[in-house]
Amino acid sequence: MDASPAIRISQLRKVFGAKAAVDGLDIEVPRGSFFGFLGPNGAGKTTTIRMLMGLAPPTSGTIELLGLAMPEQAVEIKQRIGLVPDESLLFDHLTGAEYLEFVGRLYSLTRAVSRERARELLGLFELDSAGSKLIGEYSKGMRKRVAMAAALIHRPELFLLDEPFEGVDAVGARLMKELLQDLVRNGATVFLTSHVLEVVERLCDQVAIIHDGKLVLNGSISELRAGSETLEDLFVRVVGASAVREHLDWL
Amino acid sequence: MAVAFDTRHARAIVWAQWRSLRNRLPRSNKGALAFSILVGVLWYGMFLAMAAAVAGVFADSADFPTTRRALPAAFLVCFLYWQIVPLLLASKGSSIDLRKLLAYPIRPSEFFALDVLLRLTIASEVLIVLGGAFTGLLLNPSLRWWAPFALVPYVLFNMFFAVGIHDLIERLVARRGIREIIALLFIVAIALPQLLVMKASRDHFHRVSELASWIGWPWRATADLAGGQPSAQALVLLLAWTLSAFIFARWQFARTMQFDPAEAGASPRLKRGASRLDWFYRAPGMLFRDPLGILVEKELRTLVRSPRFRLVFAMGFSFGLIIWWPVAFGHSRNTHSFLGDNYVTVVSLYAVMLLSEVLFWNVFGFDRAAAQLYFVAPLKPETILKGKNLAASFFVALEVTMAVGVCALLRLPIALRGILEAYAVTTVVTLLMLSIGNLTSVYSPRAVDPTKSFRTSRSGRVQALMLVIYPVAALPLFLAYGARYAFDSEVAFFGVLALAAVFSGVFYRISMETAVGMAESRKESILEVLSRGQEPIES
Repeated sequence: MDASPAIRISQLRKVFGAKAAVDGLDIEVPRGSFFGFLGPNGAGKTTTIRMLMGLAPPTSGTIELLGLAMPEQAVEIKQRIGLVPDESLLFDHLTGAEYLEFVGRLYSLTRAVSRERARELLGLFELDSAGSKLIGEYSKGMRKRVAMAAALIHRPELFLLDEPFEGVDAVGARLMKELLQDLVRNGATVFLTSHVLEVVERLCDQVAIIHDGKLVLNGSISELRAGSETLEDLFVRVVGASAVREHLDWL
Repeated sequence: MAVAFDTRHARAIVWAQWRSLRNRLPRSNKGALAFSILVGVLWYGMFLAMAAAVAGVFADSADFPTTRRALPAAFLVCFLYWQIVPLLLASKGSSIDLRKLLAYPIRPSEFFALDVLLRLTIASEVLIVLGGAFTGLLLNPSLRWWAPFALVPYVLFNMFFAVGIHDLIERLVARRGIREIIALLFIVAIALPQLLVMKASRDHFHRVSELASWIGWPWRATADLAGGQPSAQALVLLLAWTLSAFIFARWQFARTMQFDPAEAGASPRLKRGASRLDWFYRAPGMLFRDPLGILVEKELRTLVRSPRFRLVFAMGFSFGLIIWWPVAFGHSRNTHSFLGDNYVTVVSLYAVMLLSEVLFWNVFGFDRAAAQLYFVAPLKPETILKGKNLAASFFVALEVTMAVGVCALLRLPIALRGILEAYAVTTVVTLLMLSIGNLTSVYSPRAVDPTKSFRTSRSGRVQALMLVIYPVAALPLFLAYGARYAFDSEVAFFGVLALAAVFSGVFYRISMETAVGMAESRKESILEVLSRGQEPIES
């Protein structure tokens, strides 16, 4: 097995106008780990994950995924990663089954294999009955499920998941969590962002917290927590969210 | 960059596009669909008839020596139509949805090949006519068998050149702060030769004409070969042009692949306090009571911040002036012509035509994020449409004022009567367009991305729409100008225009009531259509 980490980010920077959305990020995610990437809204999580996915070029710094350099070896990397981005990669005028077949073919699976895996994945995510409905008619949770199914169709080694459980019901979320844990047990790596800190606490071995584009904490959850502190306490402490809530008379 | 083209991904994308269209059709508005098919048949039928005529002329061996002399000019016209008409309409035709497909393991060379093929959609009219030319040349007994095949590299040259130009412009116009200036400079640079040719004397015209048929141009080389002249020089030149266009297209496409529109469009400075235009945005609040006041204010803010709107607005009073100038004034400002006498009116109408896609036809589709709020907030559909119509009318009036201002700055020969006429005519046309637009906006809404400066719909479809709607909107103008011509009287002209304004007002009222009724009954389907995303190929 390759000894290189699943993800190696070095001095990553992304500037929008005068603002650095990501500012000198250094992260290493070991292979076979379940990694949580946390931060308050607007901290730079989605920008980072978009750069990892090859959807946005960095201003400076380097990205290595599975030992390959991004963007130089982008095609080889993309062939081996599964994506659930926050913004939809879905096409609303395709049915769930058609979309999964389409994605399978983009990952160079044959039409027959794509179709077969699409059928099985729709079954796994309890979307069989919705398989012939247009994605545009899906609920938010169903859209996330079909996006997750699409991320799995080519059996990737690394998953980049941006808010994968958002809008998914308890049954669907449990299914997705168990599936991801199984994948990690079998050697896959998961890099996920989520605002549901209980989920991150339960699933992830390691977390990194980003604030204003800068890495403020990185390590295993057990090492980072002080005493009986929960991940939520740790998060609030680190990002400094201690503003006093003012009362609005009219409310 | 390797040019190896694995067709599996392309086939998958085309398959998904086909399935999307097939899925969409049964759910489409039947009336709108029938209308689209009708205008499509009319528009492309016209070009098919033209192709048949061209085939007949090119196949005639007796008259071919005369035809041969006109070939360079004919191929130059094809080039100009292919490259410039999309710019005139700020349109780029169908294109791959790179924002989504970039996430998948597809090689840039495959994206490039698909993008080149999609350049055919921007000029399908030219291809139809060139198809006629090819058939005619093939059937001409006086020509060698290889002559029509000269059109193949010429078509490739045009496709590559179109990719390069559109990628370049699209990146430039994505840059905040400078996009309008750059786009206009580019468009003006393209319009400049036409201007110079039209303003030049007969001698100059001859020289420019000679320059246009210079042996080194690709259209001339194509003409020589298609005309049956076995010239190695023409062949080498044509292939060199095609290769250069290919290199240019690859270079521009590679840069587009590494381009991040979000980064380019970001504000160069950090926001400090309120916008400098805040007084302007808040002005409607002083004239109208809420919710109408705040709706107009919101429209002003949204439109001013939309790159697409800013581009067409700026084009109206700048590019519009330039392209109509030579036609209107010809070689001398003293020569009277209809266009010269009504220059500001013509420019204003052209500007209204450019703005119509943003301000009239699809008001909810251009503002789809807000559509949901409109229907859940305690607002009457009539108030929403009025708010949008008031903002549209304001921008039309501002556009005419800008056109008049630029004319005055350039000391163009325009009289006070011409200025009044421009305002009067655009008022009538705007009223009619608002009436039709309110109906089309609720009857056939379509999700549009206002952040894109160039629209992706095919220029042909837009032109076909113009063929049907604009003549209807222009009918009162024909009557007014007819009355002026028949009675040689300004009173007759403005009298007919006043009657047309009254008629348009009544039509506006009726169409508003109909649109409000439709908005209520079609609320769910409007929201559903507007919430949908796009397909692998945006068209």
